[in-house]
Amino acid sequence: MLLVLSEEQKAHLGFLPRVGGAAVGELGRLAVELLRRGAAPRACEAAARKLNIDVDTIQHGVEGLSYLLTESSKLMISEIDFQESIQVLGFSDELNQLLLQLYLDNRKEIRSILSELAPKLPSYHSLEWRLDVQLASRSLRQQIKPAVTLKLHLNQNEDQTAQVLQTDPSTLLHLIQQLEQALGEMKTNHCRRIVRNMK
Amino acid sequence: QRFRFCGDLDCPDWLLAEISTLAKISSVKLKLICAQVLRDLLGEAIEYEKILKLTSDAKLESGDVKATIAVLSFILSSAAKHNVDSESLSSELQQLGLPKEHASGLCRSYEEKQSSLQDRLKACSLRLSRLGSVCWRVDYTLSSSELQDVNEPLVHLTFNVQDGERGGTAAVPMTLSADKFRVLLAGEARGETLT
Repeated sequence: MLLVLSEEQKAHLGFLPRVGGAAVGELGRLAVELLRRGAAPRACEAAARKLNIDVDTIQHGVEGLSYLLTESSKLMISEIDFQESIQVLGFSDELNQLLLQLYLDNRKEIRSILSELAPKLPSYHSLEWRLDVQLASRSLRQQIKPAVTLKLHLNQNEDQTAQVLQTDPSTLLHLIQQLEQALGEMKTNHCRRIVRNMK
Repeated sequence: QRFRFCGDLDCPDWLLAEISTLAKISSVKLKLICAQVLRDLLGEAIEYEKILKLTSDAKLESGDVKATIAVLSFILSSAAKHNVDSESLSSELQQLGLPKEHASGLCRSYEEKQSSLQDRLKACSLRLSRLGSVCWRVDYTLSSSELQDVNEPLVHLTFNVQDGERGGTAAVPMTLSADKFRVLLAGEARGETLT
């Protein structure tokens, strides 16, 4: 699978042959930092001063490199495909090797960063419960009406929300039975076959 | 095997695994650590440095110290939750492999604080909203634009309700005529006789 670079991205990466191998390594490090922690304009300015190139070019270059790395890591392209994709940029073999090494060294880390970007549903945090029995009300005396009150605490993107629910014990038992059936699905042949194949 | 302090269920595996860690600490120091854990369960601040000093003789790693606190926290709160008396707790802990002096030290600390622990757990139970206070005022209407001689009493009530979900207090104001107020009081009196 080949990576397709737009004209703008080719232009951004076009200045790389002008700087030396060590500088490319430095820019690669900046690109990975961009992915780890977000933009760092001061670091780009420092690199621009050291290499004697203007800040915008450095910025575009770092962004281009980080795009190259994220797309390659996302698609998990092989070494040969990576080399063929950057052939189109017309760099020297030495530079191509440097870029390939940069990709292979950082691939795993970039993939783990990308995996955290997927949208998340609210997840379980904790559950408080309470069992009450209603003995009488204004309209009717001498009753026995049990009720279970639940407070479900959920976590979503560091936000805590709580949902209050109330049910009678027989509905709760039915709910438990349904959830146990759902867990039991994992033990059927169909699920076992899929889990075996994934491992 | 079922244990009363676990709510008549099996003892959790992680608890069994950490009993040997508890046995490494001397029984005197264990009783002092229990006192610290009880402070945390009762809502006061736990003094972690004191616990570190007490466990330094047994040469426990930081993971083991945290495990010790977790185990003691579970045992004490679970025993209070299921209203287990201290002798039964002591014999069940010995069944799990805790030495006799350690178990009796732990249970003596538990016995001292059992009722305050249960009171605290009751206060922490799920409550949705709570009536904070009631403010009232009685007015007497002399006349109005509709009728010249009114001469009726009017009751203003404000219920301050504490929201259990989001915290904070909400005020619920209402105005009642004298008759409605009497109905409200009569209903309340009947409710009181039922409890």
